[in-house]
Amino acid sequence: MILDPILDMFRGKAVTIPPLDGAFRPNTRLDDAPAFAELTEPDNLLVADGRLLASSGNAVHVIAAGAEPFVVETFPSSVTALAMSPSGELTVGLESGKLLIASREVSLPADIGCVTALAYAGDGTLWLANGSAEFWPSQWAADLMKKGASGSLWKRDPAGGAFRKVAGDIAFPYGLHTLGSDVLVSESWRHQLVRFDGATGNRSTVLTHLPGYPARLAPASDGGAWLTLFAPRNRLIEFVLQETTYRQDMIDQVPPAYWIAPALASNRSFLEPLQCGGIRTMGIHKPWSPSRSYGLVVRLDQKLQPRFSLHSRANGSRHGICSVVEKGGQLFIASRGGDCILAVDLAMGGF
Amino acid sequence: MTFRERLQSWRYNLVPDHLVGEILTKRWTDNAIPFLALVATLGVFGSIIPGFFKLSSLQESTRQLGEFSMVVTGMTVVMLGGGIDLSVGSIFALSCFSAVYVFFILEQSIWLALAASLATGLVFGAINGYLVGYLRLRAFLTTLVTFIFGRALFDILVTTYAADVQLSQAKSDVLDFIGDSTFWGLSVSVWLAIILAIITHIALTRSRPGWHVLAVGGSRRSAHNAGIRVRRTVFMTYVFSGFCASIGGFLIACRLSGAGPGTGLNLEIMALTAAVVGGVSLGGGRGSVIKGLMGAIIVLTMTNGLIRLGYGTGTNQMVLGIMLAVAVTIDIRWLKNRHKVLNEVYVAPVYLKMGETLSAVPGSGTPYALDNRLSAADHIGLGELEGPEDVILDRDDHLYCGTRHGEIVRFFAPDYVRSEVFAHIGGFPLGLAFDKAGNLISCVGAMGLYSVSPDRQVKRLSAETSRSWTSIVDDARLRDPNDCDIAPDGRIYFTDSTKRYDAHDWALDSIENRATGRLLVYDPRDGSTRTLLDGYRYTNGVCMAHDGKSLFFAESWACRVHRYWLQGPKAGTAECVIRDMPGYPDNINRASDGNYWMAWLGMRTPSFDLSLRHPDMRKRMTRRLPQDEWLFPNINTGGVVKFDDKGGIVEAMGDLTGGAHPMVTSMREHKGYLFVGGILNNRIGRYKISGADPNWTSPASYWGAQP
Repeated sequence: MILDPILDMFRGKAVTIPPLDGAFRPNTRLDDAPAFAELTEPDNLLVADGRLLASSGNAVHVIAAGAEPFVVETFPSSVTALAMSPSGELTVGLESGKLLIASREVSLPADIGCVTALAYAGDGTLWLANGSAEFWPSQWAADLMKKGASGSLWKRDPAGGAFRKVAGDIAFPYGLHTLGSDVLVSESWRHQLVRFDGATGNRSTVLTHLPGYPARLAPASDGGAWLTLFAPRNRLIEFVLQETTYRQDMIDQVPPAYWIAPALASNRSFLEPLQCGGIRTMGIHKPWSPSRSYGLVVRLDQKLQPRFSLHSRANGSRHGICSVVEKGGQLFIASRGGDCILAVDLAMGGF
Repeated sequence: MTFRERLQSWRYNLVPDHLVGEILTKRWTDNAIPFLALVATLGVFGSIIPGFFKLSSLQESTRQLGEFSMVVTGMTVVMLGGGIDLSVGSIFALSCFSAVYVFFILEQSIWLALAASLATGLVFGAINGYLVGYLRLRAFLTTLVTFIFGRALFDILVTTYAADVQLSQAKSDVLDFIGDSTFWGLSVSVWLAIILAIITHIALTRSRPGWHVLAVGGSRRSAHNAGIRVRRTVFMTYVFSGFCASIGGFLIACRLSGAGPGTGLNLEIMALTAAVVGGVSLGGGRGSVIKGLMGAIIVLTMTNGLIRLGYGTGTNQMVLGIMLAVAVTIDIRWLKNRHKVLNEVYVAPVYLKMGETLSAVPGSGTPYALDNRLSAADHIGLGELEGPEDVILDRDDHLYCGTRHGEIVRFFAPDYVRSEVFAHIGGFPLGLAFDKAGNLISCVGAMGLYSVSPDRQVKRLSAETSRSWTSIVDDARLRDPNDCDIAPDGRIYFTDSTKRYDAHDWALDSIENRATGRLLVYDPRDGSTRTLLDGYRYTNGVCMAHDGKSLFFAESWACRVHRYWLQGPKAGTAECVIRDMPGYPDNINRASDGNYWMAWLGMRTPSFDLSLRHPDMRKRMTRRLPQDEWLFPNINTGGVVKFDDKGGIVEAMGDLTGGAHPMVTSMREHKGYLFVGGILNNRIGRYKISGADPNWTSPASYWGAQP
């Protein structure tokens, strides 16, 4: 209507989110995929010496076909990031803000306390994403609900030495993917992928208006990348993000598990918020209903544009995917909300 | 409570926002814009033209208005029927000429002149009507042709006979009276216009032919399908328009004692503008005579005012054109956006601070702690049933439930595999109860209180109660009758959950949380319905206490159960027996051990409870998000709770997986089993209660052993 711009001043604009369309067209591939292994809240996946490693809680497990996951190493607090250096040293970020390389603690600048992702460039440069200056990695929801944008990007030269801050004011960097001397960062709260220049720290957006909150990135065998989105955008959540007093009261008075906020898994407790579309009717939970959690893995081509995606929809269970890894023609997917690791055969195609 | 919160509660609980939405649902709000335009026009011209409201000036204007408004009335009727009549100006002129010719040249009586005038109008109207109605030509082009033809004919006749009229000596007191005199301060033409308007208004709003016109204009095809004779109805609208124009023509003949080239010139544009400015929809079906009259006054004031301010015909025409354009735009935009505006403003949330509650989380150790027992229930009618809100069993163990298709379905004992439609009522049958004679009493959502006899005769018991004095929408109508129970004396106590939403929108009432639920009683002895209690937040289940001296009823959105006393010292009053539950109560029914079963349709969530203290946030939410995205209470998990006579909680059970019984709206104990229903479920559950009396049945508990 012609009067909309005027009326908007009184009522505010309609809250909208990007549709799941094009490369993001929904399917049920994640729910159809067989569970490769059962593991509680698997977070990071990594391939080391041909073995598949997965972090869960404060332990790193080896995952193999037909065998129970077994623990290779445990740490004093939860593992929040994994990486393997070109020389084969396992690099681990911890919830407590510590960084271990080959089990030796590396001293970090005081500003780093929220290691969300680690990545080695081909020459041995170590990139580190510090999600927030105020919260631990497990408190990511609080950072989002407080509209945090205090994340930063750090790097350490191949020769070693101290970490150097490349860029700051990033709204929760959650994934890293090296591109030569540059690095691609998933900036979760702004729903975008940003490329940072390795020398100057200049940023340029690569992909914006993602339909979810991007998490970690993983290299694909043909030069592209895999992007995981750990939760969907939701119009009610975007609305609550604009509602200052309600959001503040919610943070103060409601336990974080029951916030109107994105989640790695939902519908587990009757104390969680429910949206009208999510009501079970005649035994059916609509797959397209609004949801706080979702499973989404996106394939980016060499130009870092989305090609296709794998989904677990609102009525599915393989939600909260934070990490994937490609190994031997298979894509391994860690579903934190579904407590399992999935294996999808890439050779079969059909995407 | 913080100061901000206190302000919120005052702002949203004391300011009646909901009235805006209720007023907008009224059809008369369509009149608001033309009425404001009318007031503005009169105000502007009245203030800039000295003496505009003087009696003499008004007298001349109103005479003109009388004739003009008649033409507009005819045009309005045609437009309501979905057509348009551009030939009113020429019919008006020709009728005028007919009267003049008969009276002045043939020197016949004035009554014959009137007859000639009317005949002219009716013949031209009939020609229009025949072409448009029966031959189904385009109204616009057809009446344009009659307009051109009629105008040409009039011009020829006027030039031919002008001199003869001038020379005529014919005189008549009647003609002078009609043309110049006043009757009780108003001229004859105004009186006639008023009478015509009243008759037309009554005919349109209160008579079968009038409704047919509106129906045809609203939707030709639907009217045809409904058996209305569309062609004849359209024909009659044009005849009526011709009739109206001819009276107007006769009146101007009397007033001017002649006819000139300017008679009826541009009248069709003025009449069309008047009707549209008044708010009669060009699309047909929407409008009224009153609107047409308001438009007539606006247009005439405007044109006369402009002439008296010294502007010429050109300016006048342009102003008319602009008015028409603006009116058409507003008409279309309003028609298109009215329901959107209504949707945006209808939900008017209030402030409520829910009380602290005990946890219902499994293992929390409170009496409310839910477990997973109900997920083990057998299913009855899985996939066949849709929406068994309430379930009930008769003395022969057959199982009855309502469905969202408006049917009462009966499952046959003992295995409940075979089923039949016991009765079709319509609406959404909700609460059920058997009376002493074995009639099945049902609260039917969106309809009222119904009774189905054992031989399946459906009878309406009640659909309305008395209206409250301050209501804007008619709250006498039962909007969401929800559950009923029957006292030993046969009186039926039932709830009407909300005055604000229809039965299928029941969950929206939780967003608004306005206290409009009622407890009512129907007395079968005299058929009367009375409101006992009003102002509860979604009254729901009703259950007669075992001793029949009081009843329990649930107040869903406040998570409370109340006891209403029928006898004893507290008779006629209600007291709250259970407050601040962690779930939203629905139906209540008797248990075999002297306690009561209560269904929980959903669970409170901390985020929703908090939103109840932020009505502004909920208001914006309803405006800025589509309904599917709105925050709701968690009605995906329900349960069954047993409470005792004093309101103490005995036990609670649920289906936490949500696979079988996510939402529970009712349960009925029968011979050791609990039958579980859900308004959004596709099955009835049957759960074996451990330790329950295997012989206890509800009919026997209410009405004694089998007679």
